[in-house]
Amino acid sequence: MSDCKALRNGLLGLLLAASFGLAGCDEGSTALPRPGEPVKQDVAREAAQPAIASEAATATEKPRLESLSELSDQPLARRKLDIQSWQTAEGAKVLFVEARELPMFDLRLTFSAGSSQDGDVPGLALLTNAMLNEGVEGKDVSAIARGFEGLGADFGNGSYRDMAVVSLRSLSAPDKREPALALFNQVIGQPTFPEDSLQRIKNQLLAGFEFQKQNPGKLASLELFAQLYGNHPYAHPSEGTPESIPAIGVEQLRDFHARAYAAGNAVIALVGDLSREEAEALAAQVSAALPQGPALPTTPSPQPPAAGKHHIDFPSNQSHLMLAQLGIPRGHPDYAALYLGNQILGGGGFGTRLMEEVREKRGLTYGIYSGFSPMRAEGPFMISMQTRAELTDGALELVQQLVRDYLADGPTEAELERSKREIAGSFPLSTASNADIVGQLGSIGFYGLPLTYLEDFMGEIQALTVEQVKNAMNKHLQEDAFVIVTAGPSVEQQPLPPPSEKPIEQPSGVPEH
Amino acid sequence: MPLTLRRAAALLLGALYLPLVAAADNQPTHEFFLDNGLKVIVREDHRAPVVVSQLWYKVGSSYETAGQTGLSHALEHMMFKGSRKLDAGEASRILRELGAEENAFTSDDYTAYYQVLARDRLAVAFELEADRLASLKLPPEEFAREIEVIKEERRLRTDDKPSSLAYERFKTIAYPASGYRNPTIGWMDDLNRMQADELRAWYEQWYAPNNATLVVVGDVTAGEVRGLAERFFGGIERRKVPTAKRPLELDEPGERRLRLHVRTQLPTLLMAFNAPSLATEENARQVHALRLISALLDGGYSARLPERLERGEELVTSASAWYDAYARGDSLFVLSAAPNMQKGRTLEEVEAGLWRELDALKEAPPSADELERVRAQVIAGLVYERDSITQQATTIGKLETVGLSWRLMDEELAALEAVTPEDIQQAARSYFTRSRLSVAHVLPEEARDE
Repeated sequence: MSDCKALRNGLLGLLLAASFGLAGCDEGSTALPRPGEPVKQDVAREAAQPAIASEAATATEKPRLESLSELSDQPLARRKLDIQSWQTAEGAKVLFVEARELPMFDLRLTFSAGSSQDGDVPGLALLTNAMLNEGVEGKDVSAIARGFEGLGADFGNGSYRDMAVVSLRSLSAPDKREPALALFNQVIGQPTFPEDSLQRIKNQLLAGFEFQKQNPGKLASLELFAQLYGNHPYAHPSEGTPESIPAIGVEQLRDFHARAYAAGNAVIALVGDLSREEAEALAAQVSAALPQGPALPTTPSPQPPAAGKHHIDFPSNQSHLMLAQLGIPRGHPDYAALYLGNQILGGGGFGTRLMEEVREKRGLTYGIYSGFSPMRAEGPFMISMQTRAELTDGALELVQQLVRDYLADGPTEAELERSKREIAGSFPLSTASNADIVGQLGSIGFYGLPLTYLEDFMGEIQALTVEQVKNAMNKHLQEDAFVIVTAGPSVEQQPLPPPSEKPIEQPSGVPEH
Repeated sequence: MPLTLRRAAALLLGALYLPLVAAADNQPTHEFFLDNGLKVIVREDHRAPVVVSQLWYKVGSSYETAGQTGLSHALEHMMFKGSRKLDAGEASRILRELGAEENAFTSDDYTAYYQVLARDRLAVAFELEADRLASLKLPPEEFAREIEVIKEERRLRTDDKPSSLAYERFKTIAYPASGYRNPTIGWMDDLNRMQADELRAWYEQWYAPNNATLVVVGDVTAGEVRGLAERFFGGIERRKVPTAKRPLELDEPGERRLRLHVRTQLPTLLMAFNAPSLATEENARQVHALRLISALLDGGYSARLPERLERGEELVTSASAWYDAYARGDSLFVLSAAPNMQKGRTLEEVEAGLWRELDALKEAPPSADELERVRAQVIAGLVYERDSITQQATTIGKLETVGLSWRLMDEELAALEAVTPEDIQQAARSYFTRSRLSVAHVLPEEARDE
């Protein structure tokens, strides 16, 4: 019912998010940075108490929070997730969760067909993905769009470094589902890649590159990946470059589609109002519609980059700061320890060490986040923030000092316990909607994780010790190994304002739950 | 959903209505008031053991006066800085430790706070929210730091973002009479001179239980929510709240044009027509006709702007249309587009191209086929919306806060079905006129000397 609409096209969304569509939604401003990016945590060295303190720690004058003391210590319930999995005749892996509550279903195909498969043609994977729904036999792009939209079905596509995604959300009634699926199968299996569409989309990509030039954060991010990954396939942007895009031709798209959109290179995630039999039939049709072939070779490991600082001069008010080093691949045994360790340093919303010190005590930024992004090969560990240009150097020094301290001392016992509770408490939220579940299934399938991955991960987190977290952080991060990129104006630097003297408050006392 | 009921519904209503009936059946919605005037709306959704709680205040940047822009948003920030039972930042730390998602947002018509959490923990969300409604501290030293964070937010989201900056300026000509011209984050000059005691006054003026709506969606019952709401919010006293007047605009202010030079590489065009909203127009069909026009122009990849201007003529690299029918006061019908520079197209050509599409709507009603496609998307969208408890709560909260009823969300289909092709033609003729129009040409800085 909201008249704000999402950008209708993954390609444009990628490139033109800075355009006016967002202003139309005008959801205003928020006190907290939006979720979705890696975030950070609580600096509270002096705050050894957990936010929800034990009764003993409580002699405070403040009134108590009665609701906290009443919380049960029973494990939290969550939506039942009976993941069923099988392989299609053509070799596609299927993950399915039956969800009959709403008369709809979500289908998400994930291919190992991201820009890490571009070879020496940056942008090939994204262009192929963006061109799928531009033409099939007997239908041009508008006829395809009319086909989906006339059924109320949402077709979606997107291409990233590891993966390319094609998705369909439709009502489950057979008179909607069957024609929507038939059209979807044509689009993924027999795209015609019309020449006029290719020219138009190239033009849109080139316009997107021009828009990027007004976005210092984007420029910093491009430079960071280039510095971090050197000659590795993760180095170049998924959307290609102004030099690479114009030369890409239809034959290259056809070849890429035939190899990378093969059934053996696909994971089919399916959630919704379908029986197991219906799901099997649906997955079989999807799989048979795809080109036939094996999985593509996996991405090699990158070489560690040279540490160093790189500056992009840009006439903005703020400077964007990004610090990164190589992290870990998906499925790495240290992931739980690193995830927990990062939650304390800078993952999540308020309360991380970085957010407390940089925003809450000094007012230097609207948001600062850190996070590991595990990928097929080693993904980045990254810290990002923006601040007034004249405080860039001071802010950078502060962040590096906070990381040094954290690596040297590790988290406190209290920080660890708080974060464990947080992660356990947020677990029910991670599978609450069909959209959440299909995302989890796609990820589990694509990265070859066990079907019990979500529960396993929770178990591992709860078993971790301070020492294990500290060791894992030090094993994967070095204080002097950061690749640093700043983008902003070159102005005379000022010292940082002093931090708030007030120690982090003793939280109101409540029995542990 | 029992199969038998589904079948019965299909027989009675036809296949078209089936998904709606099926979805609505599982989600009873309840509404009641506490004695202090707090309105509570509960929508049950038992698919997962989670719940979202949102508290919506009827105050936002359109309530602000010149010199005091940004007050509502700054107050939103300060709501995280302590109250009687809570020190600065403590509520966020508690919620974080419970694994809750929390946030707040301010717009021209509302300020809202929300938590998403496991259902057993709803009481905590209520207690924290009630405490800052009843007893905000607003410590001056916290404000001194937080106003710097807000200025960083403004630099990040507006000053260093040419498209946002352009739209902020554009609104000042598009809304000549109403507070909708105010930027929600506030002008930088106003942030520079904002004082903590202004926030205190703003808080005391508007943050009363009788000026708020509590929306809860999730795995709960009306009974348990009522009990918790009475326990935590019931003791807060009703207060007299100023009369909030709807932001009304001149119907036909006259054509306004703006040339802006910002730090962008590519020019863009903005056009807006002054138009009513559902809250200010008695004839709801006019408003729903404008909504359908927005969908006809830009409701999907097969809509007119992408099909004709983006792909057909290749006049633009992107174009969009939007219209907010759910404003507290008068609204705008907005179009924006970026010319296709590779094809050498200019802003003047794009402006003429958009006018061709608007004139086409005046000259001929849309075909039944085209309207049917728009309706199919609306119907499906109503089902898809129910996959997200947050989205449902936000729709309810917004409707209530702008002075409409949450029931409109369940009457959506009937409202749009009532619009005829001739209504659409008539609405285009009434509203797409020069005297309602504002235009901005947003140009790169190097073009300044031309």
